[in-house]
Amino acid sequence: MAGTQHSAAEENKRHKHEGPKKHIIAFIFSILLTIIAFAMVAAGEINTTFIYVMLVVMALIQVFVQMGFWMHMKDRGHVFPIVGILGGVFVVFTIVIMAEYWAWW
Amino acid sequence: MSGHAHVDGKLPHEPEKATLEGRNKVLGFWLFLGGETVLFGTLFSAFLALRHQVGDGNPTANELFELPTVALATFILLTSSLTSVFAIQSMHTNKVKSMLWWLVITVIFGLAFLGLEIYEFNNYVHEGHKFSTSAFSSSFYTLVGFHGAHVLFGVLWISILIAQVLKKGLNVVTAPKIYVAGMYWHFIDVVWVFIFTVVYLMGKVG
Repeated sequence: MAGTQHSAAEENKRHKHEGPKKHIIAFIFSILLTIIAFAMVAAGEINTTFIYVMLVVMALIQVFVQMGFWMHMKDRGHVFPIVGILGGVFVVFTIVIMAEYWAWW
Repeated sequence: MSGHAHVDGKLPHEPEKATLEGRNKVLGFWLFLGGETVLFGTLFSAFLALRHQVGDGNPTANELFELPTVALATFILLTSSLTSVFAIQSMHTNKVKSMLWWLVITVIFGLAFLGLEIYEFNNYVHEGHKFSTSAFSSSFYTLVGFHGAHVLFGVLWISILIAQVLKKGLNVVTAPKIYVAGMYWHFIDVVWVFIFTVVYLMGKVG
């Protein structure tokens, strides 16, 4: 038992560095991406295809940042979660492409 | 099962992963989120396929959507995601009180988001954009409404968890529940990122 307590205390020490800082940076990054996305659309008059591509790219960056930092996916021992979510994403892409490019046209 | 974790009244670091049950809960929740991804994916694909099917004289996405309202809702939900991160961090440093306060703030932001969405939907209905108006309106309300229902569920869930922690305290049984609820809240935020991009911004572009 003493050993368990010791390792728990050690672990606490090891994790001390993980403060709110990187989460706040992820938040600011997300806010910036959101502002840019809204500003691009609000400004208008830009090439539509370019806006489409940029919007999707920024959404994907934001999702990677949020899932990586806030849902701890970048941490160790997250292989199964990644497999689980990627399985879902794979199905989604299939469905979206099917609906958009195959069933509708 | 939880007894031995309280030998000196202190929780282990990351109490949500201290027991096998807790770890299984987190893993199971990831698989659930995979399923949720598929659910929202189907709704997105339906919306993408139908978003231009407006019909004669019915309001289009470009006419309906007001970016300031959507931007405000986005910032509210983003901030609530951050406050739920703070709640988990407080949990990891065993500060129960501050964890509860961060959860309360998260719930309040969630309610503000819901209020804004109800106000927005109400406006749309008054502008003749009802559920059965067009294929666009049906798929819009199904997708965005489903997300709103998830926010409502999250608000109720986190509220009940706050009550449970007040009653039973933070231990290796309640900690995984808080952690999993935090994951759920982030997932809702991630879905909203795609909604404001695909539905609102792309709808505004045309």
